[in-house]
Amino acid sequence: MLSSVNLKVPFTSKSLSWKIKSGLIVIITMFLCLAAFEAIAQEANEYRQIMDLDSRKVIWLLAQLHLFFGAFVLGVPLFAVIIEIVGWRSNDNKYDALAYEFTSLLSVAYATTAAFGGLLAFALFTLYPTFMGYLAGTFKDVMFYYALLFFGETFALYLYYYGWHWLKDKKPFSPSLTMIFRTLGGAVLLFGAAFFFHGLGLEMRGDTRAFITFLYIAPTGIGLYIIRDRKSVHIFIGIMLNVVGTAIMQLANSWAGFMMSPAGVDEAGVLTGSLWQAFENVLATPIAIHRMLGNLAFGGLVAGSYAAVKFIGAKTPEQKAHYDWMGYVSNFVAIAALIPLPFAGYYLGREVYSNSAVMGNNMMGGDFSWTFIIQAMLVGSLFIISNYYLWSGMTRIPGSERYYKFIKYILGALILSFAIWLTPHNLPLTGQEVGDIGGSQYHPTLKFMGLMPAKNAVVNLIILSTFFSFLLYRRGNKVDSVSIMAQGRLAKIVISLAGLAAVGMVGQYGLNLLSMSPSDLDLPADRGKYFDILAYLLFFECAAAVVTVILALRDKGKLAQGLYLAVTAFSVVIFLGVFGFVVMEKASPLLRNVAVSQFIQLISCLILVSTIDAFLFRGSKIIGPLKWGQMTIRSQYALLLLTFIITLNMGLMGFIRSGLRGDWHIFGIMRDTSQWSYTPSNFVMTQQVGLAVLIFMVSLAFMFWLGSIAAKGYAEKDQRLEQENAGNTE
Amino acid sequence: MNNAIGKVFLFLLLVLGTFLLIGNTVTNLTGGEKKASGKVEISPEGGESIFWGKGRCFTCHSLGDEGSAVRCPNLGQFGEKFLMPIGERASERAIERSEKTGKHYTATDYLIESLAKPDAYIVDGYKNEMAIVYAPPISLNLDEIKAVISYLQSQGGDMDMDAINNPGEIGQKYYARIEAATAAGGGDPGNGEEMYIDNCIDCHILKGEGDEVGPDLSNISQKGLKFISESILFPAKKITEGYETYIAIEKDGRKHVGVKTSETATEVELIKATGEAITLLKGELKEITLDKGASLMPVDLTEALTVKDYQDILAYLMMQKQAADGER
Repeated sequence: MLSSVNLKVPFTSKSLSWKIKSGLIVIITMFLCLAAFEAIAQEANEYRQIMDLDSRKVIWLLAQLHLFFGAFVLGVPLFAVIIEIVGWRSNDNKYDALAYEFTSLLSVAYATTAAFGGLLAFALFTLYPTFMGYLAGTFKDVMFYYALLFFGETFALYLYYYGWHWLKDKKPFSPSLTMIFRTLGGAVLLFGAAFFFHGLGLEMRGDTRAFITFLYIAPTGIGLYIIRDRKSVHIFIGIMLNVVGTAIMQLANSWAGFMMSPAGVDEAGVLTGSLWQAFENVLATPIAIHRMLGNLAFGGLVAGSYAAVKFIGAKTPEQKAHYDWMGYVSNFVAIAALIPLPFAGYYLGREVYSNSAVMGNNMMGGDFSWTFIIQAMLVGSLFIISNYYLWSGMTRIPGSERYYKFIKYILGALILSFAIWLTPHNLPLTGQEVGDIGGSQYHPTLKFMGLMPAKNAVVNLIILSTFFSFLLYRRGNKVDSVSIMAQGRLAKIVISLAGLAAVGMVGQYGLNLLSMSPSDLDLPADRGKYFDILAYLLFFECAAAVVTVILALRDKGKLAQGLYLAVTAFSVVIFLGVFGFVVMEKASPLLRNVAVSQFIQLISCLILVSTIDAFLFRGSKIIGPLKWGQMTIRSQYALLLLTFIITLNMGLMGFIRSGLRGDWHIFGIMRDTSQWSYTPSNFVMTQQVGLAVLIFMVSLAFMFWLGSIAAKGYAEKDQRLEQENAGNTE
Repeated sequence: MNNAIGKVFLFLLLVLGTFLLIGNTVTNLTGGEKKASGKVEISPEGGESIFWGKGRCFTCHSLGDEGSAVRCPNLGQFGEKFLMPIGERASERAIERSEKTGKHYTATDYLIESLAKPDAYIVDGYKNEMAIVYAPPISLNLDEIKAVISYLQSQGGDMDMDAINNPGEIGQKYYARIEAATAAGGGDPGNGEEMYIDNCIDCHILKGEGDEVGPDLSNISQKGLKFISESILFPAKKITEGYETYIAIEKDGRKHVGVKTSETATEVELIKATGEAITLLKGELKEITLDKGASLMPVDLTEALTVKDYQDILAYLMMQKQAADGER
């Protein structure tokens, strides 16, 4: 069935040649640029125009399109490999075919990404020669590595995609060969551990060290460790594709970060420190973390929109079932990435504030305060629509009617949270209006909803509600839970480990808070009690995790889940929501630790409750199988809307990130003296981003359409060949 | 399939239309489009374009009914809290400042002070959180600051362009502060002082405070920006006479590195980078040599400082001559 609906993008010498040319465009452009310009930051800037166009808008549009395609190309392999691993481990070809279908979408998008990258580089160097000359001069080594990494990415992608069938064999390698790979993998993992615990490598920030450890070293080590047959070699290639892709993204991010928070240079922009300092500037890694999660969510939803379009146009029940399932998996991936995204955003915002208070104030309370209101509308919509899609999905699950009653409460919680998230701290009021509400520019009640503690609390509630929807979805057709005790040692070990991880994460932060002195945050000594309250709350959460594990291991899994969810909800939403206001008044710098505490408790809750859930319904009796394909068309438009919204949101956030520099190319070092040196309005932003989204979506649709024509051609050719073969056999 | 793509395309147009509508509504609600401000004249009109544009004053201040910022005081007449606009309010504040400091403030002096050293006077109920407007990223130059002052003065006050261009002693002192900071590439001298205390005070004397491992910096601005900048980035490039680095090796092999503070026929005294002074008997020394290529000052200082911190320290040090003459 699957082969009849799979999208097969043809591999012809012509298409390959075009892709190689696109890649070469990027690389040649970069070398030309590196050779052609040399400048220092304080030279008079030169700006050029083509066809009398607004150069900034030209760059903006090209950069946005390059980023859209780049995000898709980097995001899709992340989950394609995971799905392939699931198929490999479960021996279920359905997953393998799905992973292949996701990967086939990449092939065309990769060449377009490279082409847009080349165009962007040409435009930057021709329209902003002084600025780009300086940047290329400072980062010439990094740009060289960047260009080289494209070779790695290209070869890894081609090997991964075109080697799929060649490396599908699951016949085990000889024990000695397997042992060699295991040893290599173990050595890489040991190296990773030494690197992570500061035993090796350059001096660097903790976030950069964690990024390198968990996104480069650990995946490489695990990839080598699991090699035991040709299929796992293919998985390793997929992992390397992601490692190289992430490295490309990190290198480019370092330039974007440097433009916002330059490091390693003097006031004239001359490199006085090391290139590593400039590379690892304050904002480089926080941006990379945020972008990584964003790419994953974006890749998931774009793939989901592909599935939705195919579902809408599907002619047979088999096709509908396949694309319904594909859309579900895509949405699942996107939600998994969306959940930690607000925290990555908070971390990035916090680092922006630490880098420059003026920049931070401009972000949340200046030029971009209303842009953030629009952003809140978009992100809130993403969560509500994702939930709606899950609820719609419950209609295809026999027995899920039992849980419909909860939906109205979840919806209520989401809408309330959304409303609070959208509430601004103050509104533009006239003197008369101020008099009418008691002489203050703040509304007596609503003013609290506009502050960070309230917003942090409701973001946590939105995530918990979405998680709860997912739990209901999962148990929709299950008759009842099963005994965990009866599942042997594995269940006990895994649940205990999840509990240990939860206690470890939450407990270590509690201990950290206890060891902190108020003076560390420039607070008077009597504010120590606020640190203690927060720490003891975390210890209470640890105790709840321990009780949860004990209950789960005594076959009271549902109670365990309910207890931990309730304690976490109370702690992160109610207690810390209120406590946040007290901290804001009495010990404001501690507020960031409150936010971190909320995040850690929430993540530990998601991990522990999900783990228990996995065993609680493992192999349980079902009321009936999921009826894939029995989804409303409306739900597919919801999937599409999710894709449009996340794409718009990416463009909007790009506007904020880039606009935060104000009238500086390199913040505080190289001024933008062009005629476009001002912050555009939100209307201009919506026009630019809207145009980029329109071009991106139309291009994507065109690519998918081309792919479907080719797939049709291939299917017909296959059928003809089969018929010929059958004829010959007869 | 093509039909499905057509439907989805229409749906996309609908979503984009809504997005544009939201952008347009928000822009109209928040004061319409803005454009780049070119070179401005010292006039209320010039100041107005800076206030609502490059200066980013509107991020924290509203002006009467204009703007929606509440982080810092409203500078117009607004509600019961702000009964007078800032031009008029400045005269009252000048009296308050005169009483507090014992110096004679004019309304213009007060306005200059509030931009040059915003922490000098904090309005009740507000925090000390105003940005230094002549430091990056805002980086207004002196003329632009004068234009803003004229704009603020035009809000209900008596316009005095002559006083703005040629203020009294207090105003001149602050103008000198702004010029020194601007000359240093636009740093925040207030933060620069904190950075100086964190990183430099253990080895340098300034205003009578600190240790004397390195040269006294009380009049350092006379040496010029280039010298100060190079001294921080490349301390060994040009060493002030009397602060050369010596390496003394005792006969038992022990090595000491420091600045020679005194020498007699039998003894030599070195002060180490840690501030510790040691006296060595010449008879016990194997050799003592001048190390021309080294300085006791740490070469990795820039690693501990961000670009902004470095600019702030430069701004602070560039004030040290002016500080000796005027402010202090």
